[in-house]
Amino acid sequence: MLESWHLLAEGLVAASQPSVLAAIMVGAIIGLFIGALPGLGPTAGVAILLPVAVSFDGTAAIAALGAVYYGAQYGGAVTAILLGIPGDASATMTVIDGHKLARNGRAGAALGLSIAASFIGGLIGLILLTAFATTIAQAAIAFGPIEMTALMIFSLSLVSVLGGRDLNKAMMSLFAGLFIGTIGLDPMVGLPRFDFGEVRLFDGIEFSIIAVGLFGLAEMYATPPSIGKPEENNRFRFRELLPDVRGTLQCWRELGSGSLIGFFIGILPGAGATAATMISYAFAKRTSKHPERFGNGAMEGVAAPEAANNSAAYGNMIPMFALGIPGSGTTAVLMGGLLMIGLQPGPMLFQTQSEFVWTIFGSFYIGNLALVAITIVLTPVLSTCAFVRPSYLFPAVIAIIAFGIFGINNSMFEVALVIGFGVLGYLMMKLDYPPVPLVLGMILGPILERGIRRTLVASDGDVSVFFQSPIALVIILITVVLLVSPWLFKSRASKEHHMDEPQAKKIG
Amino acid sequence: MDTSETHSGMKRRTLLACGAALVATQPFASGLARANAYPSETINYIVAFGVGGGSDIVARTMAKVIDEKKLIPVKMLVENRPGGSGAVGYSYISSRKGNPYYLGGVGVSFFTTPLLGKMPLSYKDFTPLAAIARSPYILAVLADSKIKSIDDLKSAKGLTIGSAGAVSDPALLSHLLNKQLGSSIKVVPYDGEGEVMAAVLGKHLDLLFGNPNEILEQVNAGKMRALAVTSAERMDSLPEVPSFKELGHDIVHTQLRGIIMPKDVPAEAVSYWEGVMKSVAESPEWRSQYVDRFNEIPLFLDSKQFGEEIVATSQRYETLMRELGLIK
Repeated sequence: MLESWHLLAEGLVAASQPSVLAAIMVGAIIGLFIGALPGLGPTAGVAILLPVAVSFDGTAAIAALGAVYYGAQYGGAVTAILLGIPGDASATMTVIDGHKLARNGRAGAALGLSIAASFIGGLIGLILLTAFATTIAQAAIAFGPIEMTALMIFSLSLVSVLGGRDLNKAMMSLFAGLFIGTIGLDPMVGLPRFDFGEVRLFDGIEFSIIAVGLFGLAEMYATPPSIGKPEENNRFRFRELLPDVRGTLQCWRELGSGSLIGFFIGILPGAGATAATMISYAFAKRTSKHPERFGNGAMEGVAAPEAANNSAAYGNMIPMFALGIPGSGTTAVLMGGLLMIGLQPGPMLFQTQSEFVWTIFGSFYIGNLALVAITIVLTPVLSTCAFVRPSYLFPAVIAIIAFGIFGINNSMFEVALVIGFGVLGYLMMKLDYPPVPLVLGMILGPILERGIRRTLVASDGDVSVFFQSPIALVIILITVVLLVSPWLFKSRASKEHHMDEPQAKKIG
Repeated sequence: MDTSETHSGMKRRTLLACGAALVATQPFASGLARANAYPSETINYIVAFGVGGGSDIVARTMAKVIDEKKLIPVKMLVENRPGGSGAVGYSYISSRKGNPYYLGGVGVSFFTTPLLGKMPLSYKDFTPLAAIARSPYILAVLADSKIKSIDDLKSAKGLTIGSAGAVSDPALLSHLLNKQLGSSIKVVPYDGEGEVMAAVLGKHLDLLFGNPNEILEQVNAGKMRALAVTSAERMDSLPEVPSFKELGHDIVHTQLRGIIMPKDVPAEAVSYWEGVMKSVAESPEWRSQYVDRFNEIPLFLDSKQFGEEIVATSQRYETLMRELGLIK
């Protein structure tokens, strides 16, 4: 391990040469913008830059592509907080509390916190990547279909935490998400499902289309017209633009737990940063002394998912660097970049290309520092968005959304889809169905389905194998305890304080 | 060894010269026949999949070699049109019927998506031009596995093998393997080659059919053992690993790296691209930047030979998909 730090020091020096520094800056700024643009996320960003980047020399190319990846994690939060639209998929959870904060006149505080959370999450992820890359990679592959099934059951059980007031409506929303997750080619058989004869639905519906429609467009549809009468919070107050250092420091627990959960979920092949943000948000709410503040503009609700998605980005790279396995769409494109410059990621990479690997790791540290500097400078400027009147802001934002969604696959069909999901989101808002369980179901459902079906194909339909894996057993036990404990606790509490019944129900 | 290398080097150089001569004379020759010499516009290479994947790497490396060697007098643009498991990109190419300025590559989905019947096209809607590399598959297990040879597969029970997607080359090969050996290895589909490799390394799967690039990395690191290859002959990079054919099993299936155009393009465009592709296939640049780097097998197939292989491959997939009940 000591050797790791020595190698890292050399890597930092190597990454400080002008060509690599320039590549980091280019990548970080592109990432920031791509991340902030609704629809386009890090996968698209890396893919857009890849053909250009491979013409740089090898180290600079990968440093730039890596910078796009973590830069996008910073950028996603900006749109989520200021406009209530997830800039990329993994910023969806940030919308919930981040946008509330901005509307309560604390845009600067929320942005400042998201930067701090991104940096801390990134740093913790990086330190773990530096110190234990190869060891952790071995632990990650212990998670096969059985263990993933258990982990997804655990994650879905969190819907009870995230669901809002009415559990029945939350479940309806969850099942709608699970259904949407089944659209496209059946992963095990290869036949199209629920495609309505539409070839463009073969690959399923892109998550960012649903997130942008449900959270971004829906809210704009629902905003009442306010022509001619400027609202009170449209008055410009400079204080609102500045970060809130004390409030940020108070979130230390969520920053820590978010970083660790994000990193852990990030290393699992096939899980991804978005799942990581959901689990860390739910965990923060579940362990909070004031869970009722979540969803109404809690600083902790920004800290947990933002720390998680940055940390997950580095966790995600571990299977790629150490085993040659891309764990997500973004790392698959990144690995294509490694192959194009003539490097084979895999168990030999650390031995044969040690200097390259450590220079890249060094560039990640530098890139994170650079991003903090860039985003802090930009925060007051960007926050002024909060004071722009909807009649000017919304048309521009809707155009940007259309452009961003079109940019994913150059498809007008997907632009129509996002408008449709906006309508669905509007209806759900008016009828008080929470949108979060839907996105939870859509992200986690496909992972669960694959886990169950892969396990059953291998076991010839024998269900008992789910209980033969120690890892899976532990996770299932935790799930049961978590599900049963509030029920036990609540029934006892309601007996003791019968008067507080309505309030207790609201919190649950 | 030495002599054969100089010999092939010489041969390569002469062929290269031929290729260059062909390219040089082509515009002139056709210029006599027509006012506009082919090609006079930008060539669009449509990749039906995303950036950074296997098809994309083939396309971009090919375009780079063509550009470096100035094999064509116009520009070549590589454009990704992903979606619908290749349906979007391939439909786009085929809709440019008779237009010799649109090119595409051939991947597994080129055969399977039309066979699923959801795309109103098939390989018959394209003109094969040439193939310039061949990628075999290697059957491998973890280094500490009890399976030491193909014969061990017959007696072992409850084995599982991974596949990237329900219909893929590894799935096709696994079914051929079961038929040949009388074994009942279960095929478990995953979402990508990387996930399959992770599952094998994590002991959630017993076997995989991988491409040389990913398997060699693991074999050299001492993590995996190669059992057999699906090319007709042994591979140069794995001289001690037998081919299925020499073990007496009728399993020969490789992935061809070739290019196609829309239907009804002029014959002169076909022969033009045969010439260009021959120069690419035999260039040291293509050898070092693609074939050797990804441990594939160098080759050149002209339009007719490539077309025959396309028909045979499509039939192999059709049989598999019928047996799996995917098509009736």
